[in-house]
Amino acid sequence: MIRQISVFVENEPGSMMKVTSVLTESHINIRAISTFDTPEFGIMRLVVDEPQRAKESLTAKGFVTRVNRVIGVELEDRKGNLNQMLKILADGEINVNYIYSFVIREGRAPVMIFHTDDYEKAEKVLKEADVKLIEDTEL
Amino acid sequence: MIWSKEETLPRSEIEAIQLTKLKETVRYIYDRVKPYRDKMDAAGVKPDDIRTLDDLRRLPFTYKADFRDNYPDGLFAVDKKEIVRYHASSGTTGKPTVVGYTRNDLDMWLNNVARLACMGGATSDDVAQISFGYGTFTGALGLHGGLEKIGASVIPMSSGNTNKQIMFLQDMGVTLLVATPSYALHLGEEIRKRGIDPEKDLKLRIGLFGGEGMTEPMRDEMHKVWGKDFICTQNYGMSELCGPGVAGECTELCGMHINEDWFIPEIINPETEEVLPPGELGELVVTCLGKEALPLVRYRTGDLTRLMYEPCRCGRTTARMENLSGRADDMLVIRGVNVFPTQIEEVLFKIDEIGPHYEILVERKNRLDVMTITVELIDDRLLDSYAKLSELEARIQRALKSQLGLATQIRLVAPNSLKRFEGKAKRVTDLRKDGL
Repeated sequence: MIRQISVFVENEPGSMMKVTSVLTESHINIRAISTFDTPEFGIMRLVVDEPQRAKESLTAKGFVTRVNRVIGVELEDRKGNLNQMLKILADGEINVNYIYSFVIREGRAPVMIFHTDDYEKAEKVLKEADVKLIEDTEL
Repeated sequence: MIWSKEETLPRSEIEAIQLTKLKETVRYIYDRVKPYRDKMDAAGVKPDDIRTLDDLRRLPFTYKADFRDNYPDGLFAVDKKEIVRYHASSGTTGKPTVVGYTRNDLDMWLNNVARLACMGGATSDDVAQISFGYGTFTGALGLHGGLEKIGASVIPMSSGNTNKQIMFLQDMGVTLLVATPSYALHLGEEIRKRGIDPEKDLKLRIGLFGGEGMTEPMRDEMHKVWGKDFICTQNYGMSELCGPGVAGECTELCGMHINEDWFIPEIINPETEEVLPPGELGELVVTCLGKEALPLVRYRTGDLTRLMYEPCRCGRTTARMENLSGRADDMLVIRGVNVFPTQIEEVLFKIDEIGPHYEILVERKNRLDVMTITVELIDDRLLDSYAKLSELEARIQRALKSQLGLATQIRLVAPNSLKRFEGKAKRVTDLRKDGL
């Protein structure tokens, strides 16, 4: 299990920087970040080394912040691997709300982060298919 | 044309009518309406104390809040079975202000509307398109009935559906338009966008506007859009008083003639409540004369204006009120609909996912009023997906729509991003300049 933090940001200059500066002051390490193109407000999603402390720091500064579970999957950098994982989920009729990726340092395989409302089921079908899931501790 | 002889009486005769009716009205409300009797007893005034028109100022004021406190019909003076019509407008909070009419009230009302239609140049030859929204608001059915009284042909178009509006204007040879001034400007521009020149291609010659104030810059725009010979007047009323029909501009355009045999106007300083002399700017207070279902004494309209008593070049001798110069309270008029910030607040406070602070921004875009309400998101559970945030926006919009009858735009912002106020909050920003 990976715990992701989501932060509500307004769509205006400097709004993301305000979030990263709070995290920097709190000595929190950002592993991955993702936002989408939206007209008025955005949800900034981050994977950090200490999600609970990150939430506390951001909440103290007045940000609406949420910690939730996402699934992290390590995929070897080979053709068709992402497709294969998505097929496992599709066969299990699991809806993926969003997905983003990052690379763990020191040349290891890329990690796909995805969010689904069927967390337990997704975890189960992926484990059954021998897909390597990443835990918080491995980041 | 002048519809009633009462519009041209010498001052002394108008005042004689007013005094007779005032005495009857005060006796009537004291006998029949408990909230009035209680207020008069508390103020130590009896019906017999009203001997001259000046004694009017001994009577207590009636406020919009009295409608709320006596909702729905506690201020009514007749039994339900005598009511032939109900209307309603926005209240200061969740409940509407309900008004009622007896058969005689309807007749009086629509005769008063007929007067202002004539003031604005209407005749029995006119084909009138009513582009106010129908429903419980008094505007549409008021103008509808008044124009029927003078024998005009009435098209109950209602608001919206611009294409249909334009088709009827063209195909039915419409000569008279009833609308809010901002909607009339919007419609005129849409017509010109379609390559139609109102001066050459339409028969429209008269606009009777109400529901919101029309400023002089708006009137200038009206002539640019509809043509230089367009006769463009506005009229004044509010549902508590009867609806439209309280006052209207004649074609001399020097203020709105008050139907003084039915309404006594006063101007007061809204803070000190002192009655001001003619010509001074203050809050308009109106006493209705001879209303059966819902008599109203010294009603605080909240509208700021001044009164002029000199006879008009049109031949009418009734007092005129200047075009409105604002409000004494924080009521907004959005697309002709009265909106109180307290109504919005009441809706927002029931929604747990947002904080208690809010801002209201009113702008005019493409001639139409747009109201944007900014609220602070406080519930982190909505961050699971954009869909949840969009659902929250839609839910706030639906709740406001059902409360106000108006579409609004919602802007979600982070907590603590709205300004905090010590003392009286300034939450409303109205960017409509001169109504344009």
